[in-house]
Amino acid sequence: MNDMSFKENVEKALANTRLSETLHTFGDGYLVAREKAFAGLDFQAMREELGAIKDDVRVNRKALLAEFIKNAEAAGSTVFIAKDTKEANDYVASLARKKGAKTIAKSKSMVSEEAHFNRAMAAAGIESVETDLGEWILQLAGQRPSHLVMPAIHLVKEEVSALFSKDAGKTLAPEIKPLVEYSRKRLRDEYFRADIGLTGANFLVANTGGIGLVTNEGNARLCSTLPKVHVVFAGIHKLVRNMEDAIKITRLLPRNATAQLLTSYITWIRGAVPCDGGTKEQHIVLIDGGRSTLYESEACRDALRCIQCGACANVCPVYQTVGGHVFGSVYISAIGVILTAFYEGLEKAEPLVRACIGCRSCSAVCPVNIDLEEIILKLRHEVTEKYGMGTVKNVAFRAVMKNRNLFHTMIKAASRLQGPVTQKGSSPSERRVIRHLPMHFMEKDITGWRDLPAIAPRSFRDLFKTLEQKVKNPICTVGFFVGCGGDFVYPEVGVKMVKVLNRLGVKVVFPQGQNCCGIPALYSGDTETGKDLARQSVKAFCDVDVDYILSICPTCTMGVRRDFAERLKDEPEWAEKAKVIGAKVLDASAFLENVLHASEKLKAMNLQGSEAVTYHDSCHLKRGSGVFAEPRALLESAGYTVKEMANSDRCCGFGGTYSFLTHPQISKQITADKVENIRNTAVKTVAVDCPGCMMMIGGALGKQDETIRCVHTMELLADSFGV
Amino acid sequence: MFEELKSLYMEKATLVGCEVVALQDLKEAAKYIKEKTEGPLLVPDSTLCTRFGLKSLLQDTGVTLHEGSFREAGHLPAGGVTFSNFAIGESGTIVLDSTPEEVRLATTIPEKYFVIVDPVTIVADGLGAVEAMTALHSGHEPRYVAYISGPSRTADIERVLTIGAHGPREVHVLLIEGISSDFMEN
Ligand code: SF4
Ligand code: SF4
Repeated sequence: MNDMSFKENVEKALANTRLSETLHTFGDGYLVAREKAFAGLDFQAMREELGAIKDDVRVNRKALLAEFIKNAEAAGSTVFIAKDTKEANDYVASLARKKGAKTIAKSKSMVSEEAHFNRAMAAAGIESVETDLGEWILQLAGQRPSHLVMPAIHLVKEEVSALFSKDAGKTLAPEIKPLVEYSRKRLRDEYFRADIGLTGANFLVANTGGIGLVTNEGNARLCSTLPKVHVVFAGIHKLVRNMEDAIKITRLLPRNATAQLLTSYITWIRGAVPCDGGTKEQHIVLIDGGRSTLYESEACRDALRCIQCGACANVCPVYQTVGGHVFGSVYISAIGVILTAFYEGLEKAEPLVRACIGCRSCSAVCPVNIDLEEIILKLRHEVTEKYGMGTVKNVAFRAVMKNRNLFHTMIKAASRLQGPVTQKGSSPSERRVIRHLPMHFMEKDITGWRDLPAIAPRSFRDLFKTLEQKVKNPICTVGFFVGCGGDFVYPEVGVKMVKVLNRLGVKVVFPQGQNCCGIPALYSGDTETGKDLARQSVKAFCDVDVDYILSICPTCTMGVRRDFAERLKDEPEWAEKAKVIGAKVLDASAFLENVLHASEKLKAMNLQGSEAVTYHDSCHLKRGSGVFAEPRALLESAGYTVKEMANSDRCCGFGGTYSFLTHPQISKQITADKVENIRNTAVKTVAVDCPGCMMMIGGALGKQDETIRCVHTMELLADSFGV
Repeated sequence: MFEELKSLYMEKATLVGCEVVALQDLKEAAKYIKEKTEGPLLVPDSTLCTRFGLKSLLQDTGVTLHEGSFREAGHLPAGGVTFSNFAIGESGTIVLDSTPEEVRLATTIPEKYFVIVDPVTIVADGLGAVEAMTALHSGHEPRYVAYISGPSRTADIERVLTIGAHGPREVHVLLIEGISSDFMEN
């Protein structure tokens, strides 16, 4: 799929509002139900444990595989190792030939999707019938799954009834119960008729030689019982050491997949069990298909911990917006991006890699603790190295960002040039916005649905020089990392933060040598620029003597804290310095609340913030830094009433440079949902702690509801102080 | 502890869609089953089935039992009845060693499934099953063990939960004390 056809697919998906609605409703319900399923359990501890189990399996995989094979064979199984999916298909085809088998009743197996198994069997003259309801619907429709757990989630009952009617040769009503009933009766014949039953495996238990199947419908039990031959199709990464490991997975998998405490059936099969007066012939086909290579990739191998719960799709704003046929291939959403790169090639994965907006929801929900977003980011570097960034981004990041002076000059130029197209509004939400042509390097056709932020007439770095800080006997001095949004678009946020800090007895220093945190460049895959920017800012902050470095942008916080040292790891001297700097950085709200205990102080001041506000959690603040209670506590103690919106922590659609440069259409839909949630609170002020979210939400509100303003928590605090 | 586990199990099994009833003895169980179905029933032979004479207790009620191979019982027989090895409270699950094919057929193809559980065999949660599951898999004998938590279900059409996809559409759990405390038999 090239970029062009990806774009077309995106547009088609966006035109299908029903799909996006379905996926949103599903995502909402999922989160509530999942929380209930995990009540009383420590998800974090459990997923760390599973991650560790899977890592141990990776390290010892050769020995464990040998142990599995030995035990399975001892119980009468025949085990075949297929180096790729083709070998696996060939094995089954030749087995079928040997047995004179004509039909296969098949239950769900993702690796068989990977192998395009049904197509391969058809080519060999064997009829393979899907018996999982969703998979059967898709087989009738000639489509592929759009979700790991609910493969036909993109279809509605009318479409299903049309497919079933065709199969039945008579009209069936579009009613769910009778349709399920039809498939129950219709497929029952298939199990009895089939010569071979094929199932997947959720586990390969090394010390028993058995497999485990986690299912709800019961078709896998029929497939593994009625036909005389049972073929198991499994990726080699399904290995676990023992029963205990497998059971531990069953405690997380259904909860995270469908919010069930357990699925209707878990089926444990070892060896050649009795069958129709004799013994069943059981073949286990263990498929490598690129997994060994993936295990060798230090950067990406965690992906093989995946237990295919599908949750990383359920929570992904891109998935919710365009669906799994666009944001995925055989595998869907975050994990799909990664596996597509390995199993189908980087070229195929390229548009998917670029489509991720880096919100980290997937990493937060994964039951085996895979940092999916981190892996996708690494793939993005590879994609950029191989395919470049595209001309737009090359200009933006390589040529411009790297050179601080050029960047700042260019921004100043943009600020001047935009004069005629900027609207000066009276309320803060209507403040400076560009209706057209924001900066030279942005696409110009995307201002239709959202006001773009304008470059402020004076940057924070200029304003700071004129700021008078009247603090007698400061209790401490902090550094300020302003970030691009705070520097050039919303300089007043930084100014207000300085004033709030001054009132609380804190002095602020601002090293002028600092530059962009580099995250936008990295997200576009430009590692070199990222390194350069890191060095510039590290140097600037090494020159000042402070205990804390504050940030008003959580993306910058992550950039400085986590990424600087990582980016500079090949230059030990720089890396050392970067670590020191990284350890000092924190978000302004977190500093105020956790270091200064400002909410106690504010309460004592008896401030009258008076209005009601709603709070949007920025992705990187909540999931990157774990900060969400702090700003709320500060606002409340400053006299504001915080009225929560639905899904306050769902991405606003910003995703750094994503929304501007790469996928404005997807971003638009995500933002529209956010605006809807804000409106439903009936509150007229949205507080956030991130300039990126301000651009996105403020911009959308500017077009859609000018009565609502979007402001930074620091501004609200300053307001309540009257500074 | 026993009472707590029993009520935990009853609550959770009900939540996943089982009909759960506590009965005095197998005679009552047979009566209960007869009330729910006329048969024919698939009742596989097993240690406990023989020990308690389950088949004749059922026949005494007038319900029909399928004779001969269960493969000949039609594609959708009326009911199946088994004992169980043990049960898991947290998830409302019964665990049944289904290695003999008759046991598998009796629990997969019928419309209704009746399972007899001795409440002393209820463990609290999944982890409580590790020991027994490991013991069931000692040695190298072929083994087919089923966890069953409620009726067969699907949400594959418009995410609407629908009961009775491919397995039994009703699961009746009959809790009876004094059957067997041995997790290795059913
Ligand atoms: S980081 Fe966000 S956008 Fe990217 S794959 Fe994960 S959930 Fe989706
Ligand atoms: S990557 Fe994690 S969240 Fe996604 S399907 Fe796999 S286990 Fe589930």
